[in-house]
Amino acid sequence: MHWQTRARLTKWILGAVTIGFLAYQWLPILTLSVLSFSGPDGGTTFPMNSVSLHWYRELLFASALSDFKPPIGRSLALALACSVTTAVLALAAVQAMRARFRGYNIFFYLILLGIMAPGLLVGFGVAIVARIMDWQLSLWTSAYLVHVAWTLPFGFLTLLAVFNRFDRKLEEAALTLGANRWTAFRRVTFPLVLPGIIGAALFGFTLSYDEFARSLFTTGINLTLPLSVLAQFDRQLTPTLYAIGTATTFFSLLAVGCSAMLILLVRRLTRGSVR
Amino acid sequence: MSTIRERSPAAYLLALPAALWMTAAVVVPSMLILWVSFWGGRRFTWENHLVLDNYARFFRNETYVGLIGETALQAAKIMAITGVLGYCIAYFLAVMVTRNSVRLTLFLILVIPFWTSAVIRSIAWIPFLGVNGVINQALMFLGLTDAPVEIFLYSRTGISMAQVSLYTLLAAGPVVYMLRNVPNQLREAAMCLKAPPIVVFWRIVFPLTLPGVIIGQVLVFLNVMADFATVAAIGGNKQALLGNLVLLFYDSGQLRYAAVVGVMLMLSMLVGVVVALRVVDIRRLGE
Repeated sequence: MHWQTRARLTKWILGAVTIGFLAYQWLPILTLSVLSFSGPDGGTTFPMNSVSLHWYRELLFASALSDFKPPIGRSLALALACSVTTAVLALAAVQAMRARFRGYNIFFYLILLGIMAPGLLVGFGVAIVARIMDWQLSLWTSAYLVHVAWTLPFGFLTLLAVFNRFDRKLEEAALTLGANRWTAFRRVTFPLVLPGIIGAALFGFTLSYDEFARSLFTTGINLTLPLSVLAQFDRQLTPTLYAIGTATTFFSLLAVGCSAMLILLVRRLTRGSVR
Repeated sequence: MSTIRERSPAAYLLALPAALWMTAAVVVPSMLILWVSFWGGRRFTWENHLVLDNYARFFRNETYVGLIGETALQAAKIMAITGVLGYCIAYFLAVMVTRNSVRLTLFLILVIPFWTSAVIRSIAWIPFLGVNGVINQALMFLGLTDAPVEIFLYSRTGISMAQVSLYTLLAAGPVVYMLRNVPNQLREAAMCLKAPPIVVFWRIVFPLTLPGVIIGQVLVFLNVMADFATVAAIGGNKQALLGNLVLLFYDSGQLRYAAVVGVMLMLSMLVGVVVALRVVDIRRLGE
C-alpha cells in the first residue's frame, strides 16, 4: 500500500474511533433528556407514549418525599460557598508559591493530595473524626470542609498555570514605576489573572455541585441533590429522575457557558486597560 | 522582581489557610482511618488499645480478600480499554485534526460531560442496559437476537460500559497535552532519516508521550478502585467492589471493619501510584 493511502486510512480509523466514542459518551445523556419529555404513562425506557412536560410538572409540584427543591437549594448554596472559598484560598496559595518559601514543594504535594485521595476515604475519614470528637455532621461544617478540600486543588492548578503564563514584565514595570507590591498586585497582577480566578471559581462550583461520594458521608440528615437523586433512584426509578437529571445537566452546562463568556469578557476588558 | 519577595514571611501567611484546610480535611482523616482500623475494645473512644483482630477477621473471609483481586482486575480492565481508546482519541485530536476550530469543538464535546454529575451519567445508562433497554431493542431490531439479552444491567459488563464512558477522558486528556508538546521537527528529522511512519511513532512520538499515558492510567486506576457509586447504581445490590464494602460496613455501624477495608483500598492505591512513579517522574511534566 502506498504510504499516503495508509496515512489516510489511519486518519479515518482514528477519526471513526473518536466520533464513535463521543457518540457513546453523549447518547445516554441525550436519551435521558429525550425520555424526560415522555407522556404521563411513559415508562423508564422507549416507547415514550406521547410527548409532554408531565414529569417536569411532577418535579415542580412534588410531594414532600420526592421533593427535589430543598436539596437543589442546599447544593447551590454549598457550591457557591465552595466556589468563593476555592478562588480565595487558591489565589493566596499560588501567590505564596511564587515566593518559593521553604517547604513549598511539600505544600504543592499536600494540595495535590486532595485530587489523589478518593472521595470515599476522605468522606469516611471525616465521618470518623466527627464520631470520635462527638461532633454533629452537617452541610456547613463537615460537608463544606470536605468539598473545599476537593475543589481547592483544581482551582490551585488552574491558577498555577495562569500565573506561569502571564507576562511578568508588566508587574516589573509597575514596580519600577514606584508602585508598592500591594498596589502592583491589585492594579496589574489581579486583573491579568482574573480569568484564571473565574476559572478556579467555576471548578469549585461544578465539582461541589456534582459531588457524591464526599457528601454521602458528611452531610448528615440534610441531603444534597446528587444524594437525594440516588436515594430516589434506590426507592423507585421514574421519569421524574430523568427530568431532574436533564435539568441539572442543562444547568451545569449553562454555568460552564456563562463562565466561559465571563472569562472572554474580562480578557477583552483587561487587555484594553493594561495597555 | 515580582509582587511577592523571595522567601517573604508573608508567603507563609498566604499558604497557611490552604495548608491547614488540606491537613484537616485529608491528612488527619486518612491517618485516623489507619488508627481506627487497629482499634480493639467495644466502645468508640481514644482509649482503645490497638489489636490486629480486625485485620485477622478480614483476611479470614475469602470473599473479602477475593474482592481486592476483583477490584484490581476491574481497574486493570478499564485501564486497558480507556488507555487504548484514550490514546487513539488524543492522537486524532492533537495530531490529525489540522483545523484549530474543529479541534476545539471536538475537545469541548469530549470534556463537557466532566462538568456534569457522574451520578446522573451513571443513571443515564439504565434505560440503555435493561431487558427492555435501548441496546436490547436495537439488537432485536437488527435481528441479532430473538430474546432480550440480560447481560447488561446488574452486571460487570454494564458497570464497565458506564465506567469507560466516565473515565476515558482522564486517560485522553494528559496524552493530548503531551502530544501537543512534541515538536514537529523531531518527526521531520526521523522521516528525513528514512524512518517509516510506524517507526517514527513507536520510537519517537510514543516514548515522548509516555508520561501522559502513565498519568492518565494513574487517574483511571484511582477512580475505578474507589468507584462505588457507578457500581451501586448499575450493579444494584448484585455487584460489589472494595468501595461498596466500605460503605456496607459503615452503614451497618461496623466502623472498625470499614476502616480495615479503607486501609486495604489505600494500600492498593499507594502500590499502584508508586509503581507508576517509578516509570515516570511526575515533577518533570511541567518542563
